[in-house]
Amino acid sequence: MPPLLKYITRRLLIVPVTLVIITLVLYGFAMLVPVEERAQVYWPRNIDPEALSFDQYQKIIARIIRERGLNDPFPIQYLNWLGNLVRGEWGYSTNLRVWVFEYVQRRIPVTLELTLFAVLLFIPLGIVSGVLASRYHRGRVDHSFRATAFIATSVPPFILGLMMISVFYVGLHWFAPGRLSSSIEAIARSAAFHPFTGFMTVDGVLNGRLDVTADALLHLVMPVVVVAALPWATVARVTRAGMIEESGKEYAIAAQARGVSQRAIVWRHTLRNTLSPALTAGALSAATLVTGIYVAEIIFNFKGVSELIGGAVQTHALDIAAALGFAVYSVVLVLVIMLLLDILQAILDPRLRERIDA
Amino acid sequence: MRTWRRFFSHWQGWLGLGLVSFFIVVATLAPWIAPPDDLANPGDFKVVGRRTDRLPRPPNAELPLGTAAGQIDVFYSVVWGTRAALRFGLIVAGSAATIGVLAGAVSGYAGGRGSAITLRITDAFLAFPVLAGVWLFQLVMLPLLGADPTPVMAFLAESNITPVMVALIAFSWMPYARLINTGITRLKTAEFVLASQSLGAGRRRLIFRHLLPNSISPAIVLLARDIGGMVILEAAFVFIGLSSGGPWAEMLVNNRNWIIGVAGNPLTYWWVYLPPTIALILFGIGWNLLGDGLNDALNPRDR
Repeated sequence: MPPLLKYITRRLLIVPVTLVIITLVLYGFAMLVPVEERAQVYWPRNIDPEALSFDQYQKIIARIIRERGLNDPFPIQYLNWLGNLVRGEWGYSTNLRVWVFEYVQRRIPVTLELTLFAVLLFIPLGIVSGVLASRYHRGRVDHSFRATAFIATSVPPFILGLMMISVFYVGLHWFAPGRLSSSIEAIARSAAFHPFTGFMTVDGVLNGRLDVTADALLHLVMPVVVVAALPWATVARVTRAGMIEESGKEYAIAAQARGVSQRAIVWRHTLRNTLSPALTAGALSAATLVTGIYVAEIIFNFKGVSELIGGAVQTHALDIAAALGFAVYSVVLVLVIMLLLDILQAILDPRLRERIDA
Repeated sequence: MRTWRRFFSHWQGWLGLGLVSFFIVVATLAPWIAPPDDLANPGDFKVVGRRTDRLPRPPNAELPLGTAAGQIDVFYSVVWGTRAALRFGLIVAGSAATIGVLAGAVSGYAGGRGSAITLRITDAFLAFPVLAGVWLFQLVMLPLLGADPTPVMAFLAESNITPVMVALIAFSWMPYARLINTGITRLKTAEFVLASQSLGAGRRRLIFRHLLPNSISPAIVLLARDIGGMVILEAAFVFIGLSSGGPWAEMLVNNRNWIIGVAGNPLTYWWVYLPPTIALILFGIGWNLLGDGLNDALNPRDR
């Protein structure tokens, strides 16, 4: 097996272990919720929860508790729940009045599109700005970079979002909240527009409607900036620190002595050795992305998965099926991002794949 | 002493220390800077004037920063907010660091399978989004805090430790564990440690006397940065309605409609939201810079 493939397989094998640890913690927590509330996670598909009287509802809850063994010991309950998760039985959200799994399924392209654009923005931009800052170390570029990075880490994302709305939407009319303008939305919802991927930017191209793509891109600008600001600063800082350290090492100085141009040293030698920690930093900030995505989706009325708990959060409704569903969904999202960045890292850094053979 | 000279040789250290000490001084002197109505029981907010007056009043001679919605004295809340912010940051980041350092030290010293299992659990927690955790904790803990408190819950309620704090602690210890684990694993076979071991030093002495002091500096840097970061994260959670929080964040939430401003000018009612925002940002920057200064001083290789 080629080393890269071996590396990827190994990373893939870790994913289920991580999932088991996290779901154990999650269900452990859910067990603290009164059993009557927990029953909504197991709501049977053939009964419409909205069409029941209070007495009927109580009876069904009692039946679920009895039949699904909600008073059984923890390991049995946990395995039951895990089986349900895998089968797509994520329960019924009493607050939103939807089936959780179907809701996540329907909304996930929206969130994924936002996440993808944010990741595609902050990783390259973070690396490039880190490299630039290190090349002009302690110069003007470096100082303005450090100032921007400080602001990005210190300004809460929601303030950034509200300020952007105020300036770019209310004031300048450059960008707007929402996912599409209403006229474009009508096109996107019409029968002639085939949703291939659920990504408006991609579907617009595939349907030959570039106006949809352009509109979707314009609407993505503000949420993407809010999501990407913090991880951008993290990646850029690690890159900058790594580049400064690498450029002082003997191999870099030797290359310089041989007459290799500064540009070649940076892009071909020192950057290669810095990419690994930079991508690791990006992968580690994947979990914090979820907070940014939530804030962006709520502030910019970007109808993604976050609304699954959005309403319940506002009213503090005890919607345990939605809370568990959201937790599971976001963990999977984070794991996928981490996995992709890990693989990218292995492609770029041969040391990583070789180490496994050694 | 070289460490301190390095710390003070960069402006980052100076500015960071200056900002942080400023916040500590303001928090200590809060009753004198912004006298509360009831000195024995100062609240987070002070109402001046009639609650029913809708429009915020601009700054004037009496109220240096004017009033916000509901005629809340802005200056008063910004000043008293320093106490809440410091308390929150110190408790959350401090507890997370303690847990992480202990887990990292014990697992790093034990090595082998114990270390591997701890690292697996650490990585699993790293993949867990804090937001989902905070919401679950909130759901589960709030009913428990109210009715029929167990000793643990009673302690939490008594010492004013909110579900958000518990959740943030539970999901922020991992970087510390990783840092310390790596450091101790590397140092374990260093000659001075082996020497001490062969002189008969016990496990506890080895860990706390030799291994930890020599590997703790990155954790201290992270701790300084986290204190500011946690308060900003809390503000984000308060804003999206996950929990209640310190006066700064609460003011921003209660006055968010004024942030958009009138006719696209976000500065129309600047005194309502800019002071708490700037306080939050400076708090974050201050601890961040302090962390940078400490980093320059403690890990000079990173410069």
